[in-house]
Amino acid sequence: MESIRSRIENRFESFAHVLFDHRYKILVVMLLFVFFLASQIPRIRMDTSTEGFLHETDPILIEYEGFRDQFGRDEMAIVAVRSENVFEIKFLEKLKDLHEDLRDNLPYLDDITSLINARNTIGKADELIVEELFENWPVNDQDLDVLARQAKQNPMYKNLLLSEDGKLTTIVLKTHTYSGQGGETEDDLAGFSDETLDIGDPLDGDADWNIEKQVYLTDKENSEFVAALGSILDQHRTDDFPVFMAGTPVVTDFLKQSMMSNMRRFMGIALVTISVFLFVMFRRLSGVLMPVFIVMVSLVSTVGLMALTGVAIKIPTQILPSFLLSVAVGASVHILVMFFQNFDRGETKRDAIAHSLGHSGLAILMTSLTTAAGLLSFSTAEVAPIADLGLFAAGGVILSLVYTLVFLPVLLSIFPIKSKFAKGISEQLSVKGTLGSTGTSTPMDAVLNFAARTSTQNPVKVLLTALILVVIALTGALKIELSHDPVRWLPDQSDVRISNEILDHELKGTTSIEVVVDTGKENGLYDPDLLARLEHSGQIFETYKDDKVYVGKAFSLTMVLKETNQALHGNNALFYKVPDNRDLIVQELFLFENSGSDDLEDFTDSQFSKARLTLKLPFVDAIAYSSFMDHVQDHFQSGYPHENIQITGMVAILSRVLTNAMHSMMKSYGYAFGVITILMVLLIGRVKIGFFSMIPNIYPIFIMLGVMGWFHIPMDLFTMLVGSIAIGLAVDDTIHFMHNFRRYYEKYQDPVAAVYETLHTTGRAMLVTTCVLSIGFFTFMFSEMNNLFNFGFLAGFTLILALFSDYFIAPAIMVLVNKKSNSRL
Amino acid sequence: MKQLLFVLFPILVNMILFPGLCIADDARARQIMQAVEDRDDGDNQTTDMLMVLIDKNKKLRKKFFQNYSKDFGKDTKRIMFIKSPAQIKNTGFLTFDYDDEAKDDNQWLFLPAVGKTKRIASSDKSSSFMGSDLNYSDMTSRNLDDYNFRMLKESSIKGQKVWIIESIPKSREIADEIGYKKSILAVGHDNFLVIRAKMWTNEGGYVKYLEAKKIQQIDGIWVITQTQVSKKQGKAVKHKTLLEFTNVKFNQDLDENIFTIRRLEKGLF
Repeated sequence: MESIRSRIENRFESFAHVLFDHRYKILVVMLLFVFFLASQIPRIRMDTSTEGFLHETDPILIEYEGFRDQFGRDEMAIVAVRSENVFEIKFLEKLKDLHEDLRDNLPYLDDITSLINARNTIGKADELIVEELFENWPVNDQDLDVLARQAKQNPMYKNLLLSEDGKLTTIVLKTHTYSGQGGETEDDLAGFSDETLDIGDPLDGDADWNIEKQVYLTDKENSEFVAALGSILDQHRTDDFPVFMAGTPVVTDFLKQSMMSNMRRFMGIALVTISVFLFVMFRRLSGVLMPVFIVMVSLVSTVGLMALTGVAIKIPTQILPSFLLSVAVGASVHILVMFFQNFDRGETKRDAIAHSLGHSGLAILMTSLTTAAGLLSFSTAEVAPIADLGLFAAGGVILSLVYTLVFLPVLLSIFPIKSKFAKGISEQLSVKGTLGSTGTSTPMDAVLNFAARTSTQNPVKVLLTALILVVIALTGALKIELSHDPVRWLPDQSDVRISNEILDHELKGTTSIEVVVDTGKENGLYDPDLLARLEHSGQIFETYKDDKVYVGKAFSLTMVLKETNQALHGNNALFYKVPDNRDLIVQELFLFENSGSDDLEDFTDSQFSKARLTLKLPFVDAIAYSSFMDHVQDHFQSGYPHENIQITGMVAILSRVLTNAMHSMMKSYGYAFGVITILMVLLIGRVKIGFFSMIPNIYPIFIMLGVMGWFHIPMDLFTMLVGSIAIGLAVDDTIHFMHNFRRYYEKYQDPVAAVYETLHTTGRAMLVTTCVLSIGFFTFMFSEMNNLFNFGFLAGFTLILALFSDYFIAPAIMVLVNKKSNSRL
Repeated sequence: MKQLLFVLFPILVNMILFPGLCIADDARARQIMQAVEDRDDGDNQTTDMLMVLIDKNKKLRKKFFQNYSKDFGKDTKRIMFIKSPAQIKNTGFLTFDYDDEAKDDNQWLFLPAVGKTKRIASSDKSSSFMGSDLNYSDMTSRNLDDYNFRMLKESSIKGQKVWIIESIPKSREIADEIGYKKSILAVGHDNFLVIRAKMWTNEGGYVKYLEAKKIQQIDGIWVITQTQVSKKQGKAVKHKTLLEFTNVKFNQDLDENIFTIRRLEKGLF
């Protein structure tokens, strides 16, 4: 082991010599590499959509996209206005102005529906009228009363365009499904083909169909839409016309804006923290600039790599930049501490660089690998941005490892650095366990002495206390609640969140489950029995209610049929039902198709083979949907044995994200634990000690889970990251502790002395790095987003716990394990 | 007379746009459009029509119609029955298209299963005709005074010389009624047929591409016998409609009584 170690150290030294001798060539190569990756950054995409949480290959997402291809985007932006009396002419005029302004000036608008243009089907003696509710603008109170009565009686409008108390009305906006990128130019006569038409086989040779899969409306386009919407509403909003907006497109945009400002803020805070820390440590400019340069190029390269591979920045990946800054700075510091120490001692630059690489190279390599392993444990996550985060954070750590081992030595060799001969400041403060002084007495020494004393004098008590804490923690952990609730990530007082909650309440839901009943055959929906079942299903679900979930409204093709049937029978309410005669169904649908409405495509495909049933639900935590989803599944499986059923829509996506997150978390924790145990065993060279050394690594995770349980912090996409990230980072400290403990144990043959020595050397470094990292995480607590706040708090807290377990539990174990035996570890 | 046959042709005439936005009218373009309107489109016509609807999933749906139409002075009456598919066979439409702008056009629909004839209110002409990519407004003649025309250029399509003319409705109301805010038309020099048209819908950001795929001279009258309409959003095809007219005959002896509700309720000829 020793000889392997010294061989490795020699390798690192000769590698450093090569770097020094070819410094300019290497500098150019490195710069070119960084520039190449940096040049990709302008291509980076943002994606804060709900479906962006799923992998492109996820069957639930593919099913959802199929739905969206058929029926269009199911997420609507909703504009709502309150009034004591909606059916008052002044109010309606304002509503009409707003409606028309939105219709004419919103980009990417596919469809707009409000009371102004809502479908109104009426039958008169020999006449069927399908028109807009306000086709004829009311000129007197009598007209107005008639319209108000029609609107309030129309089941279609209830909870969609008009709240039950009639005091809130909405304008529902549907955006384009697909991106407008590469659309036709506006003004020429392009877009025609010169092909002759073969009416017998019209699809053959028609180039119009040779298009690739369409890109869905992009995040950028969604933001343009929301921005335009916001500014139009601002122009119309007055005290007696209080208008607000909600709906997933608006939430998505809010998350994006908040993400961008968060990223800037967190990176700023992280950079300032790191710079201050570096300055205190080295008290020289080069000691600040060089590591900051290294972490910045690591970050730029990582983001460049994301852009190059077409991976978008999503909500969870926003923690990547500041995370990488905090994590990556450690490695540079290790090199610089050694370098300045050697250089100030009078060594030549070439030798000082070589010795620092020789001394710290292996430790840096190992700690980077364990950190990367912890992060990589997410790379197989079924939640797409978590997998991206795992992959690219690990990639970033590895990139920063390469830059630290290659770029940093080159920079040191090129840029002039003054030697502070004999005044090595590195002795005052050090990060590396092999450095540091034990002579002075500071508050830090008192802490370290306390830790060493407690753990070595009462190792059994320490471990028992730890055990009791774990038991308490684990009972708490059983109470952990799973959660995926993007609306509740928003700050409690934000307009978007309040608007959503109001609409959810007043309109009985702003999101939906979409059920597609596919008969598999053309005209399958003409079957009266099937339509009766569909109608029945809707009625049953409208009575569903559990703790949090209820169905505000259920609607499908049958609504159109009921409406038409009633109109055909002189508006007699007794005929508001689905006809049981096939011919009548066919002809009523045909009539509807011909009577002025394009709305059929919202409910069925052009072949009448698929029916869509929409169940409107409140936007609650995804965990609350699970039993309802099961209920829906069971209902359709038993009630529609011959039809193919798809259950999709926003709620299905939210639910899926949660289920995937749960699987992924178990997998990722297990994987991180397994891989890091193996690395520890390899590093320490003993299986038993390798396993023992994992105790201080996982201890903080157990306590963290307990805190989550007892303090009702939900396990969501962000807090689930803490465990594996903490294992990956905590292990660095444990590696340093074990490595040095062994060294001093060999020296003194006494575990207690070895613990004192280890804590006073490496222990100091561990304290400093823990401070930097936990401050890095605590900065997320400045976020207005509740999810990031929880993440920052837990991650910082867990790292502090990790330090404590290396201060108390690791020494106690070592003292016990080595008590009676003086043999080598 | 204006027969249904030229379903696409009124379309051309329907060139549309927004509140006519002070776009200067162009006398030459208007002259050409007047010639399009005035050309001999035959009278007492009978024809069969095949309508093929293709949805975005490339699924086809076909309907066969039998059409009769006759001019009554400047007004046109037409009656059409569905021959297939079977479920809606004998369903019939009777349409009176009045030249007088003040008079709402009349349209009756007879549904055999209901056994009743219903007049369909013609207030919203911007809606789809039988699930096709044509609007009701495309089916009836239009008043040229409602539009501003502008000559864009002269060009040629498959060897045929055409005028490219932009047509914009003079008011928002007109645009709302027909469903388009702007159109660009290609009018053939030799036959005054609109052989291509591109139409921008008021809502939804769609563009319709209308193309005469086959033009024939029948009894001395130029007739478009194959038409394709593609409705697109960006590059994505939303829907297509193909129309083919066969057995086109002019100057048939069509009795006035054919164009009545009583005849409508009897079904196919």
